[in-house]
Amino acid sequence: MIHSDVIRGHLETIILKLILEKDRYGYEISKCIKERTNEQFVMKEASLYSIVQRLEKKNLISSYKGEKTHGGKRRYYKITPLGKAYFKEKLIEWQNLREILGMLLEESK
Amino acid sequence: MKQIKNFVKHTFKDVPKEKRQEIIPIVTESLEEKVEDLMEKGFSEQEAIDQTVLEFGTAEDYFGREKPFARFRRKTLKHYRNDFLFSLFGAIIIIGMLVFTNLYYTGDIIWFVLPAIAVLWWPLAVLYQFLNKKVSEKGEDDE
Repeated sequence: MIHSDVIRGHLETIILKLILEKDRYGYEISKCIKERTNEQFVMKEASLYSIVQRLEKKNLISSYKGEKTHGGKRRYYKITPLGKAYFKEKLIEWQNLREILGMLLEESK
Repeated sequence: MKQIKNFVKHTFKDVPKEKRQEIIPIVTESLEEKVEDLMEKGFSEQEAIDQTVLEFGTAEDYFGREKPFARFRRKTLKHYRNDFLFSLFGAIIIIGMLVFTNLYYTGDIIWFVLPAIAVLWWPLAVLYQFLNKKVSEKGEDDE
């Protein structure tokens, strides 16, 4: 189980990535993260929803009411062009970070 | 689904009103979606609600480190001081009445001291809280 402090700065990027793949609703995002990491990282839904709301406020994603299920309509999130650009930037940032941490923390050959 | 609504309301009850009104409907909606999802998977409604509530976390998780309401609705030093002043004036009035009753009706026996001591515990207890608060507030500032 990874400590949430380590991953905190990247949560926005992770959520953007999942929404970039396809439009998703809130709980689906949390389910997806759990499944993909083999439950190594389970995100508290409280923090998930707060980040999703923040992303929407920053216009990186937008929401719409989607298909009907039993009870009611689900709110789906969709990435905006701004969100896509932001994600690309963040991805490059992550790649740089990974490289730098590799240089610093791993044994030099 | 009333349970979910109440749970969300309760979770964010200390958040400033404006923010609360924004957060509660969206979070409620998301959690209700989750309950429906779990019910589709074969959970009973009660099980689904329980699991959703259990996995949600707290308002602290929601705000992470920003904590916009950490000092909201918390009693400040000023409140404690007002509490103390209130208790002090209250005690003075009660003791004054005791003294008056004592001297006016039974002037030959001085009995008001005993109930007066009992009444004194009220402002003393509040003063104690006030001073404690002062000390802990100082400690927080030092951090």
